[in-house]
Amino acid sequence: MPEKKCTILVCQGTGCISGGAEQILNSLETELVRQNLSGAMQIKHAGCHGFCQRGPLVVIEPEGIFYTKVTPNDIPDIVHSLQPDTVPVERLLYYDTTINRPIKSFRDIPFYYKQQRLVLRNCGVINPENIDDALAAGGYQALRKALAMKPTEIIEEIKKSGLRGLGGAGFPTGRKWEAAFQAPGKDKYIICNGDEGDPGAFQDRSVLEGDPHSVLEGMIIAGFAIGARHGYAYVRNEYPFAVHRLGIAIKQARKRGFLGKNILGSKFSFDVEIFQGAGAFVCGESTALVLSIEGKRGMPRPLPRPRTTEVGLWDKPTLLNNVKTYANIPLIINHGSQWFASRGSEKSKGTAIFSLTGKVVNSGLIEVTMGTRLREIIYDIGGGIPDGRAFKAVQTGGPSGGCLPPELLNMPVDFDSLTAAGSMMGSGGMVVMDQDTCMVDIARYFLDFTQRESCGQCIPCRIGTKQMFDILDNITQGRGKPEDIDTLLELGNSIKDASLCALGQSAPNPVLSTIRYFRDEYEAHIYEGHCPAGVCHGCL
Amino acid sequence: MSKVTINIDGKEVQAESGQTVLDTALANGIYIPHLCHHPELKPRGVCRLCLMEMADGELITACRMPVIAGMVVKTKTKKVDKAIRPTVELLIAYHHDTCRGCPAIGKCELQTVMSHLKIDRKRVRRLRPPPAKKPLDKMNSSFDYDPNRCVLCGVCINTCEDIHGVSLLYYVGRGHETKVAFYGDEKKCESCLECLARCPVGGLMLKKPVEVRH
Repeated sequence: MPEKKCTILVCQGTGCISGGAEQILNSLETELVRQNLSGAMQIKHAGCHGFCQRGPLVVIEPEGIFYTKVTPNDIPDIVHSLQPDTVPVERLLYYDTTINRPIKSFRDIPFYYKQQRLVLRNCGVINPENIDDALAAGGYQALRKALAMKPTEIIEEIKKSGLRGLGGAGFPTGRKWEAAFQAPGKDKYIICNGDEGDPGAFQDRSVLEGDPHSVLEGMIIAGFAIGARHGYAYVRNEYPFAVHRLGIAIKQARKRGFLGKNILGSKFSFDVEIFQGAGAFVCGESTALVLSIEGKRGMPRPLPRPRTTEVGLWDKPTLLNNVKTYANIPLIINHGSQWFASRGSEKSKGTAIFSLTGKVVNSGLIEVTMGTRLREIIYDIGGGIPDGRAFKAVQTGGPSGGCLPPELLNMPVDFDSLTAAGSMMGSGGMVVMDQDTCMVDIARYFLDFTQRESCGQCIPCRIGTKQMFDILDNITQGRGKPEDIDTLLELGNSIKDASLCALGQSAPNPVLSTIRYFRDEYEAHIYEGHCPAGVCHGCL
Repeated sequence: MSKVTINIDGKEVQAESGQTVLDTALANGIYIPHLCHHPELKPRGVCRLCLMEMADGELITACRMPVIAGMVVKTKTKKVDKAIRPTVELLIAYHHDTCRGCPAIGKCELQTVMSHLKIDRKRVRRLRPPPAKKPLDKMNSSFDYDPNRCVLCGVCINTCEDIHGVSLLYYVGRGHETKVAFYGDEKKCESCLECLARCPVGGLMLKKPVEVRH
């Protein structure tokens, strides 16, 4: 009797772990032994597979059989289905309500096949705690290639690729690298910004948890390109699995000679250490992050000032990029800048990663080509709004972003279109809202977040966001005044122009964009004491 | 030091190269609102009141902008006013006490800013009242700290660090809960009172002499 040889992937992302994925891993091991299959089957502890809503997830490769919402009680059936001449466990498969039948392989589910998983190619596929798995998936090939190139050639490739950074402005990564390369001085630093603090965003966490080696590889290549010998991975303290797995990855990379002295026999030496942030949202701002690593209070430095690429950590030239930016680097080096630049829209190349959450049928971690329309993301990948309800808005960019109305569903999503619509790419949170969401309440929620996370040094942000929150809070309680909308607009524009850093400059966006697109809801609260969505208790 | 000429609000003025626009303006009798600037301290740019409009329309703090030969800046444009007036109104709305009994009366920089901008107190009423009054910090043996009058300009913090070299004072808390505090090091304070001397408002005040009953 021929035995099936399979790999059983058990998602160990934070979402699936909170759903009990660790127990599933344990019961799977015992059950395989009990059913006498442990020899033929390989269990793989994988990172986030992406479809967080259906977790805990178990995937059987090579067929890609996709089991959702698995509990330890389902394990005997799953293992039994691995015996020869058996069929998959139908009740655990993804059931597509549009065609009314279960789908066996995740590759046939729209949520997956409509995506373009480049940066996430290894997430949920490899064991993030095993460097051999990363190597088998092509890990550190780009590093080998890069070490044979000249630093200027690498920077030229990054420039030609069109890759842009994930700070609010979408600054071209290649130009940043060039500035750091040209900055005089022997001591330079690389920093990876993993201080993702937006409510509803989890892409940096998932990449660090699922594929830490590609981030490390990007950092090492960056170090070689600009001439840095030391790197810091700044990760939030609230991301224990990310810190743990990145720590393991660093140790394994050191052992294999990808980190440390004379990397892969070259003259280049580089090492990375993890720095855990203490949980301040503002420390995601580059200058505040640098101060935080120096052991100081994380408070952004005002303009005009030298760029971090000239005067950064310990006053040395420093290259600071986001987790996903570094994860893109091996792709560009391996496949070439042309390959990368052929993807995406005119001015935004490559892919965008979003944490798709809120009132959407399929929530999870997704990656799409830049320029994909909002409608495709929300309806084709996200499966639309649950229970046949109406789509009302989508919020992108977290507390710095804005809410976009149904009229913009056909908008291609990239850096510039989002900015023009009053939102931003930012960290990549994407929260879908339906007819039962009150836009004033949403604005209030985000302002509550920013007014608490303001570092307190500049007046417009410290008092202005608090004042905007107080006004919004009053409006949701039915105590709005007729002049409040004008006051909010006036304060919002003043805070945008006068604040010291990007936190304050973007903090009014949720309010300004909801007034721009949903002014009637504000008016209903203020003039009629009525909350159209039926959310605000003071206005029913 | 070479001299450069710059244009502030249509007036040509001479400046030493390396000087900031704010220092140049003040030296030439042009007032630009400011709270966190002090001539003996490094410019911090946190009060955001000295914003001025550059030739390209960008708003930049005059206190951190070095003069560049031939630069043209404007400090009284509509754009500047729209950015800084709400900031001052917010400060006043959150400034609990009236001026009566304030130790800074007569030398208060906030009063100077208010009269310069002709702040209309009636407009402040459209704003929501601030949270409850915060208690005074009486940890120090020679002065008290009033978080309700403090504008968090950071001048005291910088004085302690740059002038006295002790660095005992620092920001604590976040958002509107931010205040200046000793971080538990108040016993190390030598009561040089340099911070108190530079406070632009009435945030720091000498302790009242203890009344002795006869």
